Amino acid sequence: MLRKMKVMMVTDSLQVGGAEQVAVDIANSLDRDTHQVYFCATRTDGLLRSSLKSDVEIMVLERSATWDLLKLLAFGKYVRSEGIDVLHSHGRGTMRFIALCKALGIIQAQHVFHDHFGRLHLDRSAGRGLKVPLHHGVDAYIGVESRLCRWAIDTVGLPEAKVSLVRSGVDLERFSTAPAINLREEFDLGEGNLVLLMVANFRPQKDHPTLFRAIAELTPAQQESLRLVVCGSTTADPAYFEGCMAMLERLKIDHLVRTIGVRNDAPSLMAGADAGVFSSKNESGPLVILEYMASRLPFVATETGEIAHAVKDEGVGILTEPRDYLALADGLAALLDMTAEQRAAMGERGRQLVIEEFEQHVVVRQVEAIYDQLLGLSSQSSGAKESNLAIG
Amino acid sequence: MTTEHATTPRTRYPRAQCEVSVALCTLNGSRWIEQLLQSIAAQELLPDEIVIQDDCSEDDTVELIEKFAGLAPFAVRVEVNERRLGSTANFATALARCHGRFIALADQDDVWYPNKLRRLIDELTLDPTVTMVFSDADLIGPDGEDLGQRLWDARLIGRTLRKRAVVPEELFARRALTTGCTMAVRRRAVAASLPFPEALENQAAPMRHDRWLSLVAAAVGTVRALPDSLLGFRVHPDQETGVLVGAQLPQALGRAAAAVFTAPVGQSNATHLARANQLEAAAGRAHEMGDFEEAVTLEAIAAHHRSRVQSAGSVLDRLRGIAEGVRVGAYGWDRLGLVAVAGDTVRSVRPGRGGQCETVLHSEPAPENQIEGS
Repeated sequence: MLRKMKVMMVTDSLQVGGAEQVAVDIANSLDRDTHQVYFCATRTDGLLRSSLKSDVEIMVLERSATWDLLKLLAFGKYVRSEGIDVLHSHGRGTMRFIALCKALGIIQAQHVFHDHFGRLHLDRSAGRGLKVPLHHGVDAYIGVESRLCRWAIDTVGLPEAKVSLVRSGVDLERFSTAPAINLREEFDLGEGNLVLLMVANFRPQKDHPTLFRAIAELTPAQQESLRLVVCGSTTADPAYFEGCMAMLERLKIDHLVRTIGVRNDAPSLMAGADAGVFSSKNESGPLVILEYMASRLPFVATETGEIAHAVKDEGVGILTEPRDYLALADGLAALLDMTAEQRAAMGERGRQLVIEEFEQHVVVRQVEAIYDQLLGLSSQSSGAKESNLAIG
Repeated sequence: MTTEHATTPRTRYPRAQCEVSVALCTLNGSRWIEQLLQSIAAQELLPDEIVIQDDCSEDDTVELIEKFAGLAPFAVRVEVNERRLGSTANFATALARCHGRFIALADQDDVWYPNKLRRLIDELTLDPTVTMVFSDADLIGPDGEDLGQRLWDARLIGRTLRKRAVVPEELFARRALTTGCTMAVRRRAVAASLPFPEALENQAAPMRHDRWLSLVAAAVGTVRALPDSLLGFRVHPDQETGVLVGAQLPQALGRAAAAVFTAPVGQSNATHLARANQLEAAAGRAHEMGDFEEAVTLEAIAAHHRSRVQSAGSVLDRLRGIAEGVRVGAYGWDRLGLVAVAGDTVRSVRPGRGGQCETVLHSEPAPENQIEGS
């Protein structure tokens, strides 16, 4: 009997976030006949632990810095003792940590780095702190959008063969089985209005102010016909959160908005909402749009990231230019103008598109092909090859 | 400044009605205006409109514009002010009249290269978070002759800008880095900048329209610097935004250095207070748009300007204040920061610091503005 490939997902934490969710989804959907799956959060534990399948071995390292030598040694010892074949890191800090382990000779496993960097518009540079670990400590690079892959090849100088584009996918099962939460009742939203849900931690990148300003631009009648529920961490950037709350009061729309903090039942919240909304400035994914689609939610979102670009002409949601609150207000008004049937049809098209193109099994086969190629189990994996060709 | 022409509340700044506007302010520009207009008409990417605000020209500038308008391949919307506003208020008025999603600024005496508009607009289109993009320029003489120098180098900002694709708000807060005619701005940033605050017109340290726009654009989005030269920037004695060429630059530097030793302390105080007010106004706009982090950065720099106002305390107290500013990095960690520390130190210890807190009501806007430090 062939030995199963041992794969460990490595993230900074198990707290709710886009990159962490991708890591969890891959861990849950790798083929169990051929893979044994581990998950390591190098810094902190979090709510996503409960989303991992029970057969996933979980370790939380609680390292305090990249150069946390004791944790580094403990991690290396564990990886060696378990005979891990592939370390799949998410996030640049985690990538550096693994690259350092490899450079010190603590571990020999193959290292796949999954890059979700969402601030390429601000920083297209690649200093030594990135180039050295990427060249010497990473065996395969996965970018979640074509801009990232282009950057890895042109700016970092990685060989094309090492670089693959793998768009994020979504685990439909999570959304098919989630019981709907009655948001109107749970959050005292009243009746006869459209309940919008925004799932995004309160961080400047997510640009809640543009959404709030957009709502303030609507006519009083339009405002009264909607309610907004914002789900996401309020402690990630307390000053930003306080600024947002003050803005809601200043715009006199605070009675329309409920902030409910971070939750691990997003699929149930989505199942109970009428539509999704997302106002981020800049994203590489964003995964949440797929989650809205998987939940049959029509949505209004800013057009940023690989997924938003890929679905913009599919009639599954309304996409507007990032940071443009007037355009976002137009999008919200258009959503409010639609009949319930039209919104349902839009949501259904979204669900269908996920099944056809973004289902987690489609994505995970590409990832497995990259692992196989690294370990020499296939001379030229078709999945990896296709994803390489897709780089724009 | 809030003029009767530019009082549109920010949230009601009209939505874009076309793609590209050019905002041009004119004043007695008949010598070069035709050349500029022809170069705009020859752009690879044509604007949808030119919005011209004439500030009571006494020559035939308006007639030349009207003649051009009859043949132009785009709308030419010219308006003459009833009274002279000055260039900053005039630009505020012109910007308020623009319909474009992107607005490029023009000066009456320059010559645009055919790819200028396309390069700037491409950059804005590529990334919707970019609120402003500006380029370098070649310096040309009154008759269009190439002076063999770039604008950025003449303004001693080439090294700063070439190593940064993205220019953060704190750099604009510390120094004037942009020249209007090299800029194109996304409508959202123009909306955030209007109406221009009264504080810009403070005579102790006026802030021109281009620096204000850059500051607000960086605070509410991303500003990119393109090192390509996209126009001929004409250097001549009558221009309002001068650059110093040849021997003028070391002379101006010398005058600026001498002023540290000789100018009344009150003049420096008034400058710091004016800057503090302007930066606080920009912080207010950032805060209003939900860019809280950027607002805090600008407020911190404004607070540092206020702390640099020389008080009548002891020399030791003043030096302690400067040391504290250095310790927390308030001066910035570049050459300009060092110059500012040196200037403050000299002003703190030099004898004859009479009239230290008087308000300076009238002072000439010096050409040294272009070498102003933090």
